[in-house]
Amino acid sequence: MSNVHERLRRLLFLVPYVSKHPGVTVEALARALNISREDLLEELDLLTCVGRPPFNPDDYIDIYVDNDRVYVDLDQRLFAPPRLTAGEAAALAASAELLRPASGDALQSALQKLEHVLPPQVRERYREMYRKIDASTEAPEALGPLTRAILERREVTFGYASPGRAAEPRRVRPYELLSHRGQWYLQGFCHTRQDARLFRLDRMEDLTVTETPFLPPPDARADVPNPARSSSEASVRVRFSPVAAPYVKERFGQDARPLADGGVEVLVAGDSERWLTQWVLSFGGEAEVMEPVSARAAVARAARASIGL
Amino acid sequence: MDRTERILDLVALLLDAREPISWAELREHFPADYGGSDDAAERKFERDKAELVELGFPLTYVQGDDERRDGYIVDRDAYYLPEADLSKEELAVLYAAGSAALASGVFPGRDDLAHALRKIGFFAGESLPTPRVRMELGATQAGQEKEVSARLEQLWDACASRKWVEMSYASPKHPGTTQRKVDPYGLALRRGVWTLVGYCHLRGGLRTFHVHRVRELKANTARPRTPDFQVPEDFSLDNHVAYFPWQHRFHEPLEVVLRLSGALASRASGLFPGAVLEPVAEGGVTLARLKVSFLDGLTRFCLSLGADCVVEGPESARSRLREMAARVANRHADALEDKVSA
Repeated sequence: MSNVHERLRRLLFLVPYVSKHPGVTVEALARALNISREDLLEELDLLTCVGRPPFNPDDYIDIYVDNDRVYVDLDQRLFAPPRLTAGEAAALAASAELLRPASGDALQSALQKLEHVLPPQVRERYREMYRKIDASTEAPEALGPLTRAILERREVTFGYASPGRAAEPRRVRPYELLSHRGQWYLQGFCHTRQDARLFRLDRMEDLTVTETPFLPPPDARADVPNPARSSSEASVRVRFSPVAAPYVKERFGQDARPLADGGVEVLVAGDSERWLTQWVLSFGGEAEVMEPVSARAAVARAARASIGL
Repeated sequence: MDRTERILDLVALLLDAREPISWAELREHFPADYGGSDDAAERKFERDKAELVELGFPLTYVQGDDERRDGYIVDRDAYYLPEADLSKEELAVLYAAGSAALASGVFPGRDDLAHALRKIGFFAGESLPTPRVRMELGATQAGQEKEVSARLEQLWDACASRKWVEMSYASPKHPGTTQRKVDPYGLALRRGVWTLVGYCHLRGGLRTFHVHRVRELKANTARPRTPDFQVPEDFSLDNHVAYFPWQHRFHEPLEVVLRLSGALASRASGLFPGAVLEPVAEGGVTLARLKVSFLDGLTRFCLSLGADCVVEGPESARSRLREMAARVANRHADALEDKVSA
């Protein structure tokens, strides 16, 4: 897309926005348009030159900054933004798919209303483009209530099955949901453990949104767990056959050390033996733990257990 | 006059016009812009018109009659965004998903999405409730997001305008890269990975490509407004992209039965979505029946789940899992002996 196109889209939104929010601060307007303050001031300059023939003084858009606030006195009929284009509606609908099926009926009805406000001649094109992005992840059911709990700032309770143990009850302040490599996690403060914790949504059962309110901390961002990420604590050496090597190289990049036989070797963190064992097993014999011996033994035991030994 | 300025002037003029405006009048209104030879002026106006249509400006040319003269006219009602009357909940869903997709940095049609979010928020008042949802999409390696994002943007444009693309593709199955010419039909996201589905001219059939494996990409720029291909009526992305490793179409579908016990029994539906589940009478055990078109993909996954996941049948699947497990066990066997002797 050309810059002219982007700029026009922005400007056709800017004038109505100021018209609807007279006195909006320069900063807030720049944020709403996702541009810098300098770029915004430049756009406002351009807009003062826009008008319609015969270009009498009253024919120009009258938009100005006063005391760091923006006002429009003459919007030249730009009082509402244009309708959504087929591409805009399609991108929005496709992104909404990310939360399906968790979002339930709200998504379905939102998309219907959205389609309804498209110009008739655009609808068909929208449907065609919508079919071109398929972003339906396997969003678990728990995503719906958890999204609501985060939004309404209410504590949740659920049973959580830690690996190898039966589910035990937890009471949690939900802060943030995140999806990493197709896996969904809830980050929050666990009352049961009195600590910040990350929970996998697929290990929760009997999720309930309680009436107990809480105040979230200003910035509760969790690091996505990625034990495979090379770090200074990387202590387990894993070797891959030439068959698996290209896939491992793809994920580890320069950190995958090439071997003479065409295979590769990587170092990964060893703080979760369970994760490491699962990961090595998921290569179905194309991966081998070299050291430490304790990690080798864990893999051997798990593989033997799988065939009933 | 600057092109952006001229097009905005046209918008202001047409939104205000009560009567159709003829080409001759437009030339009078913008003498500096639409001056010069007829041909050049017409071409320039054609390009401006195309841009207006792209922006969603419902511009039409009407043939005059007794009542009305010839000229360009805009359907004002079709131009302005009306209130969609989205409920708080509907708005929250669209916002949560849309802003998470934008923040992930890796979603096709990012500019379109950003504008769409602004527009649906236009009537919503000051503070939009944005639930905190964060997603990492599409980049298998940290630091790849920017490249994948740029490729997705190019592919989205090519899909939308139906123009073929030329790319060099690095498949892990072959060393080096191959040059491909592809008619892009669509993009799909599965388990955090973006896939392009399209007709591959090299292989002469429909193929899937992981976007992070596309090294270079160029779309056909000739005649940008004329599509290069048609997408078959019955095409569906979902039929070509696997959700799970065992759904890759590598062999004839096979029905496999798994026996899930312990902690896995209650997680069966999450682990194997779409499988037919059947709790076993004595309790604590679930049988999962699923269609498999890539057996190794399934057995590897089963192996990683541990001893609580057992293949019940058919025999070919049972023996494949045993074989894999034995191979892993043998390769690591010495560690166990060390441990025992220690």
